[in-house]
Amino acid sequence: MNNSRSAESRPVRIHGNRRLFLYYWNRTKQNKLAIAGLGFILFLILLALIGPFFTADPTHVDFAERNVPPLGFSTEESIYDIKTNAFTVNLIEGTWKHPLGTDGKGRDMLAMLISGARISLEVGLLATLIAICIGALIGVLSAYLGGWWDNVLMRFTDIMMTFPFFLLLVLIIFMFGPSLTLIVLVIGLTGWTGAARLIRSEALSLRTREFITAARALGASDARIVIRHLIPNVASLIIVMATLSIPGVILAESALSFIGLGDPSQTSWGIILNDGQKSLDTAWWVAVEPGIMLFFTVLAFNFLGDGLRDAFDPRSNLDAR
Amino acid sequence: MNSMRSTLLSINNLKKYYPVTAGIMQRRIGDVKAVDDVSFTIGDSEILGLVGESGCGKSSLSRSILRLEEPTSGTIIFDGRDITFLGKKDLRALRKEMQIVFQDPDASLDPRMTIGDSIAEALIINSKGTDTEREQRVTELMAQVGLETRYRSHFPHELSGGQKQRVGIARALAVNPRLIIADEPVSALDVSIQAQILNLLQDIQKQLGISYLFVAHDLSVIKHMAHRVAVMYLGKIVEIGDKRDIYANPLHPYTEALMSAVPSIKSKAQGRLLLRGDVPSPLNPPSGCRFHTRCHRVMPICSKEEPQLNELRPDHCVSCHLYR
Repeated sequence: MNNSRSAESRPVRIHGNRRLFLYYWNRTKQNKLAIAGLGFILFLILLALIGPFFTADPTHVDFAERNVPPLGFSTEESIYDIKTNAFTVNLIEGTWKHPLGTDGKGRDMLAMLISGARISLEVGLLATLIAICIGALIGVLSAYLGGWWDNVLMRFTDIMMTFPFFLLLVLIIFMFGPSLTLIVLVIGLTGWTGAARLIRSEALSLRTREFITAARALGASDARIVIRHLIPNVASLIIVMATLSIPGVILAESALSFIGLGDPSQTSWGIILNDGQKSLDTAWWVAVEPGIMLFFTVLAFNFLGDGLRDAFDPRSNLDAR
Repeated sequence: MNSMRSTLLSINNLKKYYPVTAGIMQRRIGDVKAVDDVSFTIGDSEILGLVGESGCGKSSLSRSILRLEEPTSGTIIFDGRDITFLGKKDLRALRKEMQIVFQDPDASLDPRMTIGDSIAEALIINSKGTDTEREQRVTELMAQVGLETRYRSHFPHELSGGQKQRVGIARALAVNPRLIIADEPVSALDVSIQAQILNLLQDIQKQLGISYLFVAHDLSVIKHMAHRVAVMYLGKIVEIGDKRDIYANPLHPYTEALMSAVPSIKSKAQGRLLLRGDVPSPLNPPSGCRFHTRCHRVMPICSKEEPQLNELRPDHCVSCHLYR
């Protein structure tokens, strides 16, 4: 609680929401891993936004420069000469032109990874946004309305929960063809169930708190209580849930691409990974590089989510660390 | 004393039962009789103290009066108007007339709202004034409850319990109510803070002439605050009347026992009347007089017949077979 005291003695008065933001920022800041995660995510967003202006066209194919290793590595390529009936061995070294190498079609890996970062972030953020909005709405309404509504909404959630989402995805892709928009929609429209249940249980415990009764005693309408009191009080949970569900979505998209159900017109990390696994013996970097990116992205979101959860939880004593 | 005041609130035969259900079919197997046939009146700018053990129905009663919970039966007359079955719209207009101060100041404030916003919300809901007028009113209210204006942009977790309770009082005062139901407003506070809050409530009452229904389980708090006292046991009022008369001369054995439990410097020699056993379950209250299982002056009739409230002296009613 040292933070609140220092905030109190601060001479400058900052208005409400900004002060609350600062309070949580100060608490989050104490978690080094969360800050590292946040840094990596910001770096990734920046890369996805301005990276494409500085790199080559990720779809540019050049067979003369296929399987170039990353800078500082080298591979041997044996070429069979039909006239001499012998193998000549070429030593290929990484060049500054392709700092992360090229794939089997001579496409620049750096450009592909940056384009993949954009796709992964897009998929992760959009699908999570859809899922969390539905989950929050259903969870809060279910808790606040209670009774019959609660029963109907929660049974609906149960049904959605048991529904095999992967099967649905395969079916839809089979019917409409692979497209990123469809993948985002399906993940978003099916992935809200866990969030809905957690948010409902949080809102249920809030509903019986006296400040809600106080608002009712003042004559506040149901809409006002939900919007001004319930949702702000579950907001921290919503933020944490969103942060922690983004890596799952990114992995889901990659997994789909990896098994060949991704959108082939987009160079997502999963698609690159899928390409690379076939040439793992000749060009290991094609599979390893998107793998490393995925690994760190997922880790970064998880660290940030954990840090936020601790910061938002008034019971966690951060000073004791 | 009561005769001098005009009646503001009058409760007649109010009952609040909570159904107890069991099984998948939600079969009703009984009722928790939290409030069972309670009648009393509160005069204009009068403080009625309501005492009783925890679980005797004090909170259910106060929430039923505010229509935060629907009473099972009976009538609530506020300022000559029957509000027992008021519709949603009329009920919202009524909210300006009656307010509540809660027991736990921590739980009664939204942790994500600043103090200023919490108080201003009362004004916004009841659409009072422009933004600047509201700002001014919030400053005024904060001064009235003894809070420095600099706390306006603070969050509840940055305030002490006493300060939070002051915010709760300011919020209740914001709409200019004529009746405040104070549901154990000091029992969650430190003793040193209790006195401050009690004095504040008393000053406000004198200044504004508001009526209070002051709920407490602490008899010395009630003695300090109230003009009249009602003693509740298991959903029923067992004794009600002028404070001085009741404190000087408690008639009901339960009141007697409560009074003897108040620590006092003077009356050390008087022995304490110890109540044995627990409060019986309101789901299945004892037959006849509800207190007969724990009464030290129990008679054969007590378990058979339910006593009625009798006015034994002017403004002093008691419900006991001893006084018939």
